[in-house]
Amino acid sequence: MWRRLTATEGGQGLLMVSPPLIYALALLAVPLGAILLFSFWTQDFMAVDTTFTLNNYREIAEKPIYGALLQRSLFVAGCVTIVTVIVAFPVAYFVSFHVRPERKSLWLFLITIPFWTSYLIRVFLWKVILGYNGVINTGLINLGLIEEPLTFILYNVNAVIITLAHAFAPFAILPIFVALEKIDRSLLEASQDLGESKFMTFLRVTLPLSMPGVVAAVLIVFIPTIGDYVTPELMGGAGGKLIANMIQTQFLALNNAPLGAALAIVAMLSVSAISLVFVLLNRRWLKGRS
Amino acid sequence: MTPLITLKGVNKHYGDYHALRDIDLEIGEGEFFSLLGPSGCGKTTLLRTIAGFESVSNGLVTIGGKDMAGVPANLRPTNMVFQSYAIFPHLSVAENVAFGLRKRSDLDTKAKQTLVEDALDMVGLDGYGKRAAHALSGGQRQRVALARALILKPKVLLLDEPLSALDKKMREQMQVELMRLQRHVGITFILVTHDQEEALVMSDRIAVMFEGRIGQLADAETLYRRPRNRQVADFIGKMNFLDVVVRSSNDPVDLEISGLGRVTISPDQVPEPVTIGKAIVGIRPETLSLLFDGETTDLRLIDGVVDEVVYYGDMTYYDVRVQGVEKPLNIAMKNVIGRPVLDVGAATRVVWDERSLVLLN
Repeated sequence: MWRRLTATEGGQGLLMVSPPLIYALALLAVPLGAILLFSFWTQDFMAVDTTFTLNNYREIAEKPIYGALLQRSLFVAGCVTIVTVIVAFPVAYFVSFHVRPERKSLWLFLITIPFWTSYLIRVFLWKVILGYNGVINTGLINLGLIEEPLTFILYNVNAVIITLAHAFAPFAILPIFVALEKIDRSLLEASQDLGESKFMTFLRVTLPLSMPGVVAAVLIVFIPTIGDYVTPELMGGAGGKLIANMIQTQFLALNNAPLGAALAIVAMLSVSAISLVFVLLNRRWLKGRS
Repeated sequence: MTPLITLKGVNKHYGDYHALRDIDLEIGEGEFFSLLGPSGCGKTTLLRTIAGFESVSNGLVTIGGKDMAGVPANLRPTNMVFQSYAIFPHLSVAENVAFGLRKRSDLDTKAKQTLVEDALDMVGLDGYGKRAAHALSGGQRQRVALARALILKPKVLLLDEPLSALDKKMREQMQVELMRLQRHVGITFILVTHDQEEALVMSDRIAVMFEGRIGQLADAETLYRRPRNRQVADFIGKMNFLDVVVRSSNDPVDLEISGLGRVTISPDQVPEPVTIGKAIVGIRPETLSLLFDGETTDLRLIDGVVDEVVYYGDMTYYDVRVQGVEKPLNIAMKNVIGRPVLDVGAATRVVWDERSLVLLN
């Protein structure tokens, strides 16, 4: 058996992928299957009733709180994605077009510096910046620009968006940077040679050619932000909680794992559906570009 | 010749590097002009200066009588075919060709479409409009680049090594097509190339550049037959160089060539003034020949021994050692019927004529 595996090329390939495959199966597919299974069961006080039912999904569909939370999650993730990509693009553009080639890796290194501290600490840091007695409020009061601390910048959706956009910025900068790096610089000269200004060259050549990077950035930011739990928990206050917080509440505080599982499945399906639509739209639109 | 482009005292510095040194140049309307030189000689920089991609450090560039200082590339009456062709990969062939027509508000979509079709037709790509640009071959990309530039009817078409990415057959075919195209549209073409054959074949006039300077500016024949100095003579084609002592520089010019003896030549064979004393003469390999058995000649003869034979099929190149001449003479012989290919070490006689000499400093 072993000899037959090592003898053929296919067998060798199988051997090589099997450790990560087993790992992926054990830690991704099995838990996912378990969640899916749980979502069709119900919680009966302390025990789990294992009769197959769609009650959880019915409850999610009927009670407006879940739909509202999911909508808010999608809205926040959408905002975060737009803000992140809009902020990331100029940074990526600057590094790609205006930094000397030998300095580029240093710049990329600097961009990844925020990752040196843990995500949690970075979120807390934003609390210090945005808080009632935080950096921004004290600064503005000392400058005499405001009399009372601003309250719309912490413990609401705004704070969640600001924090997430900052946390995910490097994930957006890198793919956009790579796409911009791949653009042949003589194309920009050709556009100018054919009569276009620098701005129109950006619109007609640079931007369309960087779209693969932008698409990657959108997906990389959008998908994880929908399920983000830490930031809304710490920064969102009462009005800024998202679907992930509800799932956590169901699992732990309310001890209703089946409903939490069903919520998780619904959230996952929504993300998949939206991402798929986005990818398909881009496929059509970006036909032949790469 | 009406000058369309004038360059006066053009210099370009990149930090310490002096890329263009005191370039003075006039390029005429409807001329096929080539900038020829080894890599790093500044020919591409000069082209990019005319296109507006590089500013000049000092000096004057005018196109059609207008000073081009401060005029960006997009506002100059020039269009360029890039070395990489720079075809927009996200656009179709037709969209590529129509790229520069966006600002032409006097044309409606229909008129633009007709222009694009005509342009594609002109470069032999009719029916290719809907193709994706990234699916084209090298030769087709080049044609798209040409159509895209010519559709804007520029005063000058700039070509930056346009044939260097093509294989030999394709290159020769495109040379002829470019010449035909230039005659057809009648605008000035400025070609940058490091390939001397390409420049000789296509151009009305050629500027040979070395280290940021123009070494010689002339038509193909003058450049080949009367190079001004050893550098130009060496770069264009093959040339034998022989040491010579100039006895008299008046008419006729009296020379003593080492190994070949004493001859007189006409002042026409002396492109640049020389003084009495040591100099060199150049002889092209095809102006020398070997005398085979049974052949006769009225020209001068000298004995030699075959040192090397390089057989090309249509031609054979011999290196022949001649007593008193420092390096073996390179001789090109056409392989006509009945003429054998000699072996290394064979004794032979070299036919030469002083009319094919050119005296250099």
